[in-house]
Amino acid sequence: MSAVAAKRVEIESTQRLRALMRDYFLDLDAAAHDPDRRVAWCTSVGPCEILVALGFATYFPENHGALLGVRRLSHELIPRAAGIGYCAESCSYMNSDIGCALGGHSPLRDIYGISGPPTPTLLAYSTNQCREVQDWFNFFGRRHDVPALGIRPPRYLSEVTPAHVALVRDQLATFIGQIESHFDLRLNPARLEEAVDRSSRASTLWRKVLDTARFRPSPLTFWDGAVHMAPVILMRGSHAAIDYYEALLAEMNRRAADSIAAVPGERWRVYWEGMPIWPRLRELSEKFFDLRAAVVASTYCNSWAFEPYAGGDPLEWMARTSIEIFINRDEEWKEHFLVDMFDRFGIDGVIFHNARTCPNNTNSRFGMPQRLRERLEMPVLVIDGDLSDLRFFSTAQTMTNLEAFIEQLEGGAR
Amino acid sequence: MSDRLYIGIDTGSSATKCVVVDAAGRRLAHATVPSGFDYAQAADAALSGALQALGAPRDRIERCVATGYGRERVSLATRRITEITCHARGAFEWYPQARTIVDIGGQDTKVIRLNAHGRTADYRMNAKCAAGTGTFLESIAVRLALPLSEIDSLAMRSTGRLVMNSYCTVFTSTEVLERIKEGQPKEDIAMGLFRAIASRVVEMMAARDGAVAATGGVVTHCRAMVKALAEVLKTQILLPPLPQHAGAFGAALLAITPEPHETAPPEGGVACSLEVLKPC
Repeated sequence: MSAVAAKRVEIESTQRLRALMRDYFLDLDAAAHDPDRRVAWCTSVGPCEILVALGFATYFPENHGALLGVRRLSHELIPRAAGIGYCAESCSYMNSDIGCALGGHSPLRDIYGISGPPTPTLLAYSTNQCREVQDWFNFFGRRHDVPALGIRPPRYLSEVTPAHVALVRDQLATFIGQIESHFDLRLNPARLEEAVDRSSRASTLWRKVLDTARFRPSPLTFWDGAVHMAPVILMRGSHAAIDYYEALLAEMNRRAADSIAAVPGERWRVYWEGMPIWPRLRELSEKFFDLRAAVVASTYCNSWAFEPYAGGDPLEWMARTSIEIFINRDEEWKEHFLVDMFDRFGIDGVIFHNARTCPNNTNSRFGMPQRLRERLEMPVLVIDGDLSDLRFFSTAQTMTNLEAFIEQLEGGAR
Repeated sequence: MSDRLYIGIDTGSSATKCVVVDAAGRRLAHATVPSGFDYAQAADAALSGALQALGAPRDRIERCVATGYGRERVSLATRRITEITCHARGAFEWYPQARTIVDIGGQDTKVIRLNAHGRTADYRMNAKCAAGTGTFLESIAVRLALPLSEIDSLAMRSTGRLVMNSYCTVFTSTEVLERIKEGQPKEDIAMGLFRAIASRVVEMMAARDGAVAATGGVVTHCRAMVKALAEVLKTQILLPPLPQHAGAFGAALLAITPEPHETAPPEGGVACSLEVLKPC
C-alpha cells in the first residue's frame, strides 16, 4: 500500500486532552463559586507561575477569544465592543471577549456546562505580547471592580541584557507585593520555585513534541499543535500539563518511529508564521491535507517553548522568559530565528498570515517576507486574514492563493 | 498527425473563456460567454462556442484544464490549476520576454513575477476587498450612469493629471462626486479612475524587472487601463492578442502535458483534531 493511500491516523491523546480541558474548566468554575478560592485571569505569556504559587486558579481570556473565533461568533460580538468605544479593527480576541461579556453567549456554557468565563478576583497581564492586553484587562477590572495588575517589559529587543532582566525582575517583585498587599497573602518562595520548575518542564516537553515534526513524514502538523498546545498555556505550573505532554511526546515518538504521517503522502513541508485563523482552521487544515502539504512548524506553537529553568532565582527565569519570547524581539532577531527554524524543519515554503487585527503577532508588514524570499530563494506567501474576524478573510481568494503556492512549489507553470 | 484538441476553460467572476489548442500549442479557436449564475453551464457554453467556431466535434477533445474562480464546477476538466499559474503560462507563451504579468480581472487583480523559464517566481493577489479590480470600474460606471466603454473613451481623451486619493470603490465614488462639484473635466476624472487601479497594482509589485504584460478583462475592454499602467509603471505594456483569454490559453497549453501521476486523494479527510473544541 502506498503512503498516499494511507488513512490518517488520529492522535490518540486527543481524547485525554478533551478530558483534561473539561477538568480544568470545571475546576475553574468551582473556584469561581467557592468563597475560599480565588480566580486570577492571566495573559498567555504573563506571570502565571506567581499566581499559581499564591494559590489562584488561573484562567486565560485569550483561549476564550480563540474559542469564540473557532465558533465563528466574532461577527456578532465585535460590534458590541465597538458600540462602547473599542475600535472594531483592534484585537479581535479582545473585542470578541468584551462583546461576549456585554451580553453574548459563551461557548463554555455549551461545552462544559459552566456559567461562562469564571469571575475574576485579580487580572494579571504582561505587555510583552502587546498593549491591547492591558486595555482588555482594564475593561474587566472596571467591570468586576478588581485590580488589573501587570508588568511592562522592554519590547522589540535584539539582545536580552542583564539590565533588561533585572528591570523585569523588579517589576515582578513589585507585582508580588501588590498582590500580597491587596489579598493579605504571603508568597512562599518554595512554592514559586516548584511552579516555575513545573512550568519549565511542561514547556520543555512541549518543545520536544513540536520537534517530532522534524521527522519525515511529520507525525503532527501546526493544525494539531494549535489544539494540543492548550495545556502548556492554560495549565502552566501544574502537574497535569507535564503528565499530558509526557504522554503526547511518547505518542508522537511512536508515530514517528512507525512513519505515521499527519499528512499521508507528505510532499511539501510548510512553515506558518503568524496567528492561526481560528474560524477557518478546519478548512485550512483540510486544504493543506488535500494538497499533501504538511505545515510542520510555526512560530505560534513555539511561543510557549521556553528555555529550561535550571534552578536558581525563579523570578529571574520568569523575567528572562517573558522578554526572550519571539513576539518581544526585533525584526533582525526574528529573521534569524525563522531561518534557523526553516533549516531545522526542512521547510520548502513559508506562509505569513497577515492578521489584520493583530499587528503585534504579524510579521509581514515591514518587508520580512520579501527579505526572506530574496535571501533564501524560497517561495513565501502572505495571506490576509485574522485570528477571529472573518470580515478580513476571503475563503475563495485564500484557497486560490494556497493552491498557487503549491503550484509554485511544484515548479510553477509546467 | 494527431488531431486531438486541448481545452482551457477560465471561469471568471464575470466571463467564462475557452481556448482550444492543438498538440503543438497552436491556438485554434476561442469563445467568451458571461459566467452568470451557473458556472458549469457557462463553461459548457464557452466550450460549445469555441468548438463551433472550429467546426470540431467534442470527441476530438483529449484533455481539459479548468482555471478561474469557478474552476471546481467545470466537470469536463481533468485538472484544475489556479489562474495565477495559467495566466503566467499563457502570457509567457505570447511574450517570452515578459517577467511581470499584471492580470486585472472582474474580482481579482494579480501581479505575477516570472523567471526566465516562465515559471512563477512570486505573485501577489489582492486581499478580500475588490478595490482596484474590474468591479471597481463597474460600480462607479453604474453610479455615473455611463457604460464602461464610455468611461474608457472619456479617459482616452484626458489631457490632465488628476489622481484619485483612493482605490476603494465606496470612497472613490464619493470622490468622483467631489471632483464633479469642483468642475474638473469629466475626461480627467475618468482617467483618474484608471490611475487609481494602476496605483493599486504598484502596491502589489514587490519588484519589477523585465517587460510587463497585461492580461484580463479590464485591459481587453479599456484602452485607458493600459495607458494608465504604462504611465504609472513608466514602461511599455505588452498587450497580448487576446488578453482576456490568457488564462484559458495557459490552461489549454498546460492540458497538453499530462499530469505526471494521477493519485487517489488520501482517505480520512479530517486533518486535525478540532473536535476537542466541540461540545462533548
